[in-house]
Amino acid sequence: MGVTEARAQFDEGQGALIASGDWHAEAAAALPALPDQPARILDGADITQLDTNGAWMLLAAARWQAGESLPELRAFQPQHLAMLQLVARHSAAATALPEPPRAGVLELTGRGALAMGMHVLGLVDFIGRLSIELAVLMGRPGQWRWREFGAQLSAVFVGAIPIVFGMLFLLGVVFAYLLGSQAQQYGANIFVVDGLLLAILREISPVIVAVLVAGRSGAAITAQIGTMKITEEIDAITTLGLSPLVVLVIPRVLAVLIALPLLVFIGDIAGILGGMLITQVQLDITYAMFMDRLADVLNLKTLMVGLGKAPAFAIFIALIACRMGLSVTRDARSVGEHTTSTVVQSLVAIIVLNAIFAVMFVRLDI
Amino acid sequence: MTGPVIDVRDVSITLGGHRIHRGLNLSVARGEMVALIGGSGTGKSVLLREIIGLLKPQAGRIELFGQSVPDSTPEQMNALRRRLGVLFQDGALFSSLSVEDNVATPLFEHTRLPHAMCRQLARLKLDMAGLHPDAAKKRPSELSGGMRKRVALARALALDPELLFLDEPTSGLDPISARAFDVLIRLLADSLGLTVFLVTHDLDTLFSIVDRVIVLSEGRVLGSGTVAELKRIDDPWLRDYFAARAPEGETAHGN
Repeated sequence: MGVTEARAQFDEGQGALIASGDWHAEAAAALPALPDQPARILDGADITQLDTNGAWMLLAAARWQAGESLPELRAFQPQHLAMLQLVARHSAAATALPEPPRAGVLELTGRGALAMGMHVLGLVDFIGRLSIELAVLMGRPGQWRWREFGAQLSAVFVGAIPIVFGMLFLLGVVFAYLLGSQAQQYGANIFVVDGLLLAILREISPVIVAVLVAGRSGAAITAQIGTMKITEEIDAITTLGLSPLVVLVIPRVLAVLIALPLLVFIGDIAGILGGMLITQVQLDITYAMFMDRLADVLNLKTLMVGLGKAPAFAIFIALIACRMGLSVTRDARSVGEHTTSTVVQSLVAIIVLNAIFAVMFVRLDI
Repeated sequence: MTGPVIDVRDVSITLGGHRIHRGLNLSVARGEMVALIGGSGTGKSVLLREIIGLLKPQAGRIELFGQSVPDSTPEQMNALRRRLGVLFQDGALFSSLSVEDNVATPLFEHTRLPHAMCRQLARLKLDMAGLHPDAAKKRPSELSGGMRKRVALARALALDPELLFLDEPTSGLDPISARAFDVLIRLLADSLGLTVFLVTHDLDTLFSIVDRVIVLSEGRVLGSGTVAELKRIDDPWLRDYFAARAPEGETAHGN
């Protein structure tokens, strides 16, 4: 098949557009500029090939508008004539539409703020509905989904142990090192243990573990429930007379609620181990001295402040993840958007809650 | 130009320890509309994937327009793929794009046309596939199953292919939509001069629009011909297959 470019020239005298060559989408893209006046005659004697895209372009080159009568079609081969008439019949739909207006910065900001407000409202509504289901469930312990709960606990807790341990260990190393390099200047080496304990147990471990769980399990929960929504599994659950909240949401919320404090505890240990390792190398504090000091300064209050924040973080992460999963609409893009939204909302919730806790603990002198 | 459009010779393939095709032969001439039938697991979809170059057979020759598919370089294959349109079973529409952009995507990627013109051509194709212009700006998830199939057909036709592959074009459609879709395929095939290769389970499609039927069985072609010719073949599966439809003349639908 020899590819010859589509050619067209306008005969002023006859008002005729004389076309030749192969008319398909690619070949007809490189046409020279033609006069902007409708052709009265369309000559197709030398057209070697014509497909639907080519036919549409030929009509466009003749400045033909859908709805008008066709120009006189001269010397076309029968199959080309049929193609041209077919395309002309369907051309009414192919008129140029104006581009939808693009939203400005102000509009986008406004929409973003509205969306945030809607998320808060939606979460409150979700908590309400979940509470009703929980109240009903209390009376019927037989409907608890223990198996689902076990599977979720294993996914959220057991699967996260290595990464939580590794991250907090490294953070302990970094924090003790920075603290040590400052304390060294004042000969206050042993107080590094105090600072490390306070920082890891009260702030670093709960917040970092919550962030890890939000990114890991929160995203997974939204993606899973969202995909179930798309494949109509949620509808199937409802049709079987079960509540998606009981079957899916409550086991996940409980699993995260139990897993997060445990993970924070593991993170505490990993952070202290990391700090212990680095103080021995950097400040010559032996493991025995470290443990001795640890026993002196560690009190239950410091530990419980950190562990006590974890359930609050957990509830928010799990509720946001489940709600976003259930509000996925019916396409794949929506799963991605909602998963992103889960992580963002969870991180915001963690930071805000942590700030509230900090102020609260100071006021209460804890 | 006169050779067969699809030519499959002695193709064998083993997947997951199962011998799917054992020396399979078939060819399709230009302008023909051929249906491939066969029981579940006889490798219909595998054959389709082999022909469009998504799977490589272990032995044998597959040619499209006289060019070998397994031996083509990726560039040659892409040039070849521009001459085919494929309609996947569930439409395989891109859910993040509007209907119009779904159809315009092949034009965006394979031509140098401005995007606005691609979209106009997309709406032309949608209109030819029998979709109302209002649907153009919607998302695939907002459409019914029958409309999604039509969008997928419009996308398969976007680059004006010479050869159209249809994988179960009428599955999941109600009998009325299925017949309308059959008529549409035949109409477009005739007016655009397409060669059509379709995999189907729909007996009504076979009886109404197809020129020739190829039956796969045990990794080979059991028979090929019109429905009347196939009915004369003595094979238990074929007998059961055709018996599943009420005698001709009665208006009953097999699906």
